[in-house]
Amino acid sequence: MKTTKILIIFCVLLSLQLHAQKYFTRSGITQFEASEKAFEPIEAINTSTTVILDANNGNIVSQVFMAGFQFNNALMQEHFNENYMDSYQYPKATFKGNLDNFSLISFNANNSYDLNGLLTIKGLEKNIQTTVDVKVENDQIFISGSFFVSAKDFNIKIPSIVRDKIANQIQINIDYELIEKK
Amino acid sequence: MIISISIISIYQYISLAPKKVVAIIPEYSGNANEFNYLVTDNLSYWISKVVQITGKATQVNEDGILINGTIYCQFENKKDIQSIIENQNIVVKGKLVGFDELLMEIKLNQCIIIQ
Repeated sequence: MKTTKILIIFCVLLSLQLHAQKYFTRSGITQFEASEKAFEPIEAINTSTTVILDANNGNIVSQVFMAGFQFNNALMQEHFNENYMDSYQYPKATFKGNLDNFSLISFNANNSYDLNGLLTIKGLEKNIQTTVDVKVENDQIFISGSFFVSAKDFNIKIPSIVRDKIANQIQINIDYELIEKK
Repeated sequence: MIISISIISIYQYISLAPKKVVAIIPEYSGNANEFNYLVTDNLSYWISKVVQITGKATQVNEDGILINGTIYCQFENKKDIQSIIENQNIVVKGKLVGFDELLMEIKLNQCIIIQ
């Protein structure tokens, strides 16, 4: 009797594990800021980042389109796409990584997780290590955080005439609300 | 006088905000299925282009709609979506930002309803 009970519990747990619970969004917010003090702000926002998270093991993939970054200034947006990012040749940046020790089943009050993975911009890969806030509420998973990248890691050439106006360390802010993918 | 006017006009040009989708003449107007072929053929040409798509709203979400199951239109004004019913025929205009390989969809931004 006892063994059957254990067996049933084991089967239930196994089926939970096998059912890949994926969470996703199409409209995640990715922002970057590269302003130097005393110069005009260099920042843009992208509200159409795709993110898919495997809620069982924390595997995460995301993708952001360069052409989806909105600037306040048309000329800056044009330079970003045509001169800095080559958006027609490299239309997107991708991230593939893992939220360490994350699992929806064993989610607890501890809402700070290490995020590790590879960021690819303009075909070049860079390892990213950061800590993000994760919140689970009303069947939604919220992930937010920020990290720094440097333009030269991705072979983004900044002309010397504007070099002083663009920060060496570019801050990337992420804010994603994921819902279950059915 | 002339110098100051030219400085002001140069400054205005430099600090211009990006054009809104409403104000741009679409590079393509037509059927969603046909447009799919065009994008598969030459994606880089269509990046950042404004297009007008006719099709069926196969999925209606909080921030956008899916047309013919393959083109995701994200709206700037979420209120516009409230009037759309699933499986309704629709014409939308938006800016193409890329092809989403994770979800296998073409993505349009700043969409507005034309009809």
